Amino acid sequence: MFNAGVDAGSRTIKVVLMDAANNRVVSSGICGQGVRQTAIARELFNKALFEAGIKRKDVRKIVATGYGRDALNWADTTVTEITCQAYGVKHQAPGVRTVIDIGGQDSKLIRLDKNGAVHDFAMNDRCAAGTGRFLEIVARRLELNLDDIGAAAKKAARPAKVSSMCVVFAETEIVGLLAAGESAGNLAAGVQNSIARRIGDMAGARLEGPIVFTGGVALIGGMRSALSRTLKRPVAVAADPQLTGALGAAIAAGGQ
Amino acid sequence: MTSRPATKTPFRHFRAQVKNCLEYAAARKKKGAKIVGIMCEYTPRELIMAAGGVPVCLCGGSAEMAEAAGKALPANLCPVIKSTFGFNLEKKNPFLEMSDLLVAETTCDGKKKMYELLARDHPMHVLELPQKPDDPDALDHWTAELRKLKAALENRFSVKITDEKLRSAIRVMNRERKLKRELAALMKAGSPPLTGRELLDMKSLIAAMPEDLKQYEKALATLPGRALKPQARPRVRVLMTGVPLPHGAERVLDIIEGHGGLVVAQENCTGLKPVLEDTAENAADPIRALAEKYFHLPCSVMTPNNARLDQLRAMACEYKAECVIELIWQTCITYDVEAASVKRLAEDGLNLPYLRVETDFSPSDSARIALRVESLFETVRGRGRN
Repeated sequence: MFNAGVDAGSRTIKVVLMDAANNRVVSSGICGQGVRQTAIARELFNKALFEAGIKRKDVRKIVATGYGRDALNWADTTVTEITCQAYGVKHQAPGVRTVIDIGGQDSKLIRLDKNGAVHDFAMNDRCAAGTGRFLEIVARRLELNLDDIGAAAKKAARPAKVSSMCVVFAETEIVGLLAAGESAGNLAAGVQNSIARRIGDMAGARLEGPIVFTGGVALIGGMRSALSRTLKRPVAVAADPQLTGALGAAIAAGGQ
Repeated sequence: MTSRPATKTPFRHFRAQVKNCLEYAAARKKKGAKIVGIMCEYTPRELIMAAGGVPVCLCGGSAEMAEAAGKALPANLCPVIKSTFGFNLEKKNPFLEMSDLLVAETTCDGKKKMYELLARDHPMHVLELPQKPDDPDALDHWTAELRKLKAALENRFSVKITDEKLRSAIRVMNRERKLKRELAALMKAGSPPLTGRELLDMKSLIAAMPEDLKQYEKALATLPGRALKPQARPRVRVLMTGVPLPHGAERVLDIIEGHGGLVVAQENCTGLKPVLEDTAENAADPIRALAEKYFHLPCSVMTPNNARLDQLRAMACEYKAECVIELIWQTCITYDVEAASVKRLAEDGLNLPYLRVETDFSPSDSARIALRVESLFETVRGRGRN
């Protein structure tokens, strides 16, 4: 039998299918989020079934997570993305004490206890500062692809100072800095540092390693090192960082 | 007061609390009583009652009124302050409009300065609240402030506040506090007979109205043995702390109870905090007795505020809390900074998961709050399994 995890995030939907006997991932998939969320997620799930060569009836339980979790009426139950991140990270790398998850509209810092269970967590509040959305907005301003922002940041001679409190204000700031002749590289690096500072604020004084970085933003060049510099700790990017939540959901489906 | 059908349940009675209070205040005012608006639990209602006045709580819980206050107050301010003042700007709080006097005190900076603006439209008496509860001269100062309030009430309303009238008011308030304590204590049960929301709703803007006292007694007689609708999973027992939830601002409590939680205790000014201690009924100096009772309220404006941590410790144990959720109204600086001490107490002292929720009255972040609460409950349940 198999278990499934579906992570309906703000920008992408992720699916993981897992063999219940040995907790091995048999297939997975990622696709863009859309208005027809429930149907899109269903198609992605069916595709994952097809790739694994299994049928719907072979799946014992489906757990949905992510901000769209309650909309996926074909899942059996829901578990929050915070708990799923913890399950996913524990499965891949037992002993991790801090998870930094930066997605499309959320950033989270999750502290795990010695057993890998959630101890506490902090999240961004009413603003997308410190999230993937921030990087998207800035990339557009700088006329860069999201994937190229890391390469640009690498060229930064002197990273610009960019506010970490509010996306709208930060964008205004960037417009001003561009007008003042600041280079795209310095701005890209400045924005990455700003996101890292936001995470640093969430971490507060109590930060324990090992630290693992998950979520779509972990794939963007320069972010890992910006976090590591700001937190003054080594930060490792999870294997398939976009899939950690869905992986955790599949583990939750198996009863941990 | 109008007669009420005998079958009326306490829940139904208190659902109409605003209407009940309006009828009561109007009737009393018609007979010559003075309506006195109050905005904090530090105000000794007994002094106002002994002056023949009717103390009415004016704290605003309306999102609409908080928004209306934008015309006069900074956007980045506590929603209770904004809402209370918004009602004044819009002339929409009938109790404020019928008030003969407002009594307030120097608690937090935002309130204190808002009172200056409110005083342009209404007669106002501000008590200076000392903020170092352990200083021996602080209580003397507070007592002197209450004596000044007594004199001000006597002058303004042309009455004499006798010790006898004070003692009588103290007895009534003690009776109500005792009833409210006993109601809250029903939540100590393994399967409490009511929800936190139902308990929160059993209150009135005006304290100690005779019909309310009867209904509290009726609730105490009828509620034990009542069973809440069973849920798929046992409800997670939540100790709520932090800022008060004025009428209309119950959203976060509803989110908690709508996602599998049960608020078994509220250590805040709309919960247990103001009713835990009584006033000495036979003290030789009733003003001093009132000063002692009210000065000991552990609000975050006090420094240090160790009594709050002691109360939280006791409540977590008595009410068998499984987690602590702290509510902070946006820019409530004193509660927000003190949250670090509460978090430490919860996690290290009580071994309970802790969640801080900072928000205002607008519902835009309800889904985000729900996610945090659900995740907290998953952690609590996960601990239960191990």
